Amino acid sequence: MSQKLSPNISWSPPEHYEPVESQVSGVVVYAPKVEKVEKDQAKTYKCPNCGANLAYDVSAGGVACEYCGYVAPVRSVHVGKTADEFEFTLENVSQAERGWGEQRQVLNCESCGASLSLPQGALTKTCPFCASNHVNVTTCTNEEIRPRFLIPFKVKPEQTQRLAADWLGKGWFHPDELRSNAALQRFVGIYLPFWTFDTNIHARWRAQVGYERTVRHYNAHEKRWETHTHIEWRWEDGNAHLTIDDYLISGSFPEHISRRILQGIYPFRMSDLVTYEPDYLAGWQAQAYEITLTEAWKNAKTEIREQARQACYDEIPTSHVRNFSMTADFADESWRYILLPVYLTTYKYEGKTFQMMVNGQTGTVAGQKPVAWWKVWLAIAGLLLPGTLLGLIGLPLVLLGGVGVIPIAFGVVLFIIGIILSILLYNKARQSEAR
Amino acid sequence: MAEPASHTEILSEDQSPWGMDCQPFGCPHCHRVFLANPSHLGVPCPLCRQGQLEPQPTRMRVTEPEKLLPFKITQPQLQSIYEGFISGVWIKPEDFTVDNLFQRTIPLFWPLWLVDSDVNGHWQMEAGFDYQVESTKEVYVSGRWQSQRQIETQARWEPRLGEITHHVDNIAVPALEEHDNRHQMTGNYRLENAKNFDPNLVANAFLEVPNLLPEDAWPLAKPKVDQAASEICAKAADADHIRDFALQADYTKLHWTQFYLPLYTTCYKDDEGQPQILIVNGVTGRIQGPRLASQKRGLRIAGIIAIIAGVFLLLTLIGLLLTSLFPPAGIISVLLGLLGFGTGIAAIVPAIWPGQWNRKQDAPRITSRGV
Repeated sequence: MSQKLSPNISWSPPEHYEPVESQVSGVVVYAPKVEKVEKDQAKTYKCPNCGANLAYDVSAGGVACEYCGYVAPVRSVHVGKTADEFEFTLENVSQAERGWGEQRQVLNCESCGASLSLPQGALTKTCPFCASNHVNVTTCTNEEIRPRFLIPFKVKPEQTQRLAADWLGKGWFHPDELRSNAALQRFVGIYLPFWTFDTNIHARWRAQVGYERTVRHYNAHEKRWETHTHIEWRWEDGNAHLTIDDYLISGSFPEHISRRILQGIYPFRMSDLVTYEPDYLAGWQAQAYEITLTEAWKNAKTEIREQARQACYDEIPTSHVRNFSMTADFADESWRYILLPVYLTTYKYEGKTFQMMVNGQTGTVAGQKPVAWWKVWLAIAGLLLPGTLLGLIGLPLVLLGGVGVIPIAFGVVLFIIGIILSILLYNKARQSEAR
Repeated sequence: MAEPASHTEILSEDQSPWGMDCQPFGCPHCHRVFLANPSHLGVPCPLCRQGQLEPQPTRMRVTEPEKLLPFKITQPQLQSIYEGFISGVWIKPEDFTVDNLFQRTIPLFWPLWLVDSDVNGHWQMEAGFDYQVESTKEVYVSGRWQSQRQIETQARWEPRLGEITHHVDNIAVPALEEHDNRHQMTGNYRLENAKNFDPNLVANAFLEVPNLLPEDAWPLAKPKVDQAASEICAKAADADHIRDFALQADYTKLHWTQFYLPLYTTCYKDDEGQPQILIVNGVTGRIQGPRLASQKRGLRIAGIIAIIAGVFLLLTLIGLLLTSLFPPAGIISVLLGLLGFGTGIAAIVPAIWPGQWNRKQDAPRITSRGV
């Protein structure tokens, strides 16, 4: 007895499916084909026309030869913010793709300990992080996780000099000769490693919240009505939700790349992310991550949970809060390892090393600028002088019958204002030099 | 689907199938058909208790049943099951006693079909593969943060498809039109504890004849066969979960056999003299059926209490009349009055309780398939 429900026509799987192992005999299983990643394929960039070295050209948007004009576009996909993210599975780091996909050399700096990936045949012998020449170059071991996406350089190398010169020229308390510093000629285009994190946070908080109440009562002793502000405390709780999208954490040690300067060139537009292709790095330098995924996530969580705490505080209608406690449940955590374009230079001025960066996508400049301290001290003196003078004028006038009180008063006020402005100016100058 | 005629035959009223000393009997009231020992001629129908069993021919599969679940509940256990069932009903009908239930107990086997099939075709589904993800819970207490690592299990869904050429065995399929109602009353059976059919195990019991023949049961069987095929494909793909399973297949070499499940039936008469059927699962002892209270008895009890209350009130009146002659009688009459009033209130309870109780009885009952 049989039940024919459909004609017995031959069946074949779709083209993009391949057979996989079946755990039961009599059942054939097909799964979508998995794209095989070519590992450890050596790529060399030689012009097919003239044999010269090829490099990625920002203007051309592809790999180009500076001698014969040959250009080959980069075969990448623009993914933007939809770029794939990885979950924090227990095994995903070990399963992530490995290697850079091209032969690269590694520059190890003996002065600051930085490691930098260089293209084959690169002549760089100076550390871009600390300007030291005490370096050694070895072959890349291909052990690190491979970056999946990057933002290509949009700012041309020749533009960096103008941008940096304009930036260096700003600010009256810097040396005048900075604009013509030779370091402006030595910007190095480098892809820096970053981790991005996404997560949703559901936070629940509980605290004692104080509400001010104005209470009037009659003071029998002094025979008058008095008003007191009384705080009424009561336990309250609530929820807050936070969505974190593309939270950026640098993959470089802070000793090599200053966090303060790096944040000065933010933001990067993640909508320009493209799939990683070794062609983008041809002729350019890149740094592998120094801070691991787990360490970077730990740092990110430390910052994100403070945002969650602030979000909970924002729910509280008053500023009187005590015994605050909260839990923040992280969900849907994911990460990406990407490369972002930065122009970097390190220069010396009066025996000190200063670092400067240009955002390779937007052209934003940030960095350390030396301070002409004589200008600062002069300015501080100028700020304090009016108050001091008025005080000095007022003092003898006081002895002459109290007329000097007014100039002394004005002098004190001006002196205090001068002190405040001097402190602000001093801090600004210190920050300008700080790393 | 056409089943070869030799598998289903008309069994006449004097024929005994499977080498057993039993014949087909039918109930003229509910039209159910049973195989039973000829000595059961004229006994009340085990399931409706209103018709008397009489011999009748029936259409059934002559192949011997494949499996059955033997009775596990013994007579002493039945006794305690009935006692537990009856307790809690305060004002019972007079007929609702453990002894009556026990004496009217009839063992019965009711049928399922077991179908085997070869499944040949192609399938597709979404296969879910479990993986573990590390998550975080941050707790802020007393000005300090504490991190709690949590491991969560999530599923990654991927498409899978393929071909299947597999044999599916012993899929249980309803053999009665009222299967759902019967299952609701008996609850689940663990079919994996089944034994091969042995006439000795059904010697004194009634065997209910299926009224859903295989050709009519196939629409009910196909989804279960497909379900079995989906489990095979999931195992083949090593999937932890599946969804959107679709199968296009030929079902060949269909083989239908019977499977019998044990139950006890008994009954008691309610106020109107109607039999109320109780079902006991012959393996688990689960009992199901209406637990009715008796409105008549309730009213009778209420009447007796009301009479007592009336007497108290009468004595109260007499006492009040005698107060002028014997003052202490006033106190006594007040006490009697309170007693009478309280007793009168109490009389309401047995009058209304049975109605309230019966209204709450929503347990499933044997479907009535009257004339």
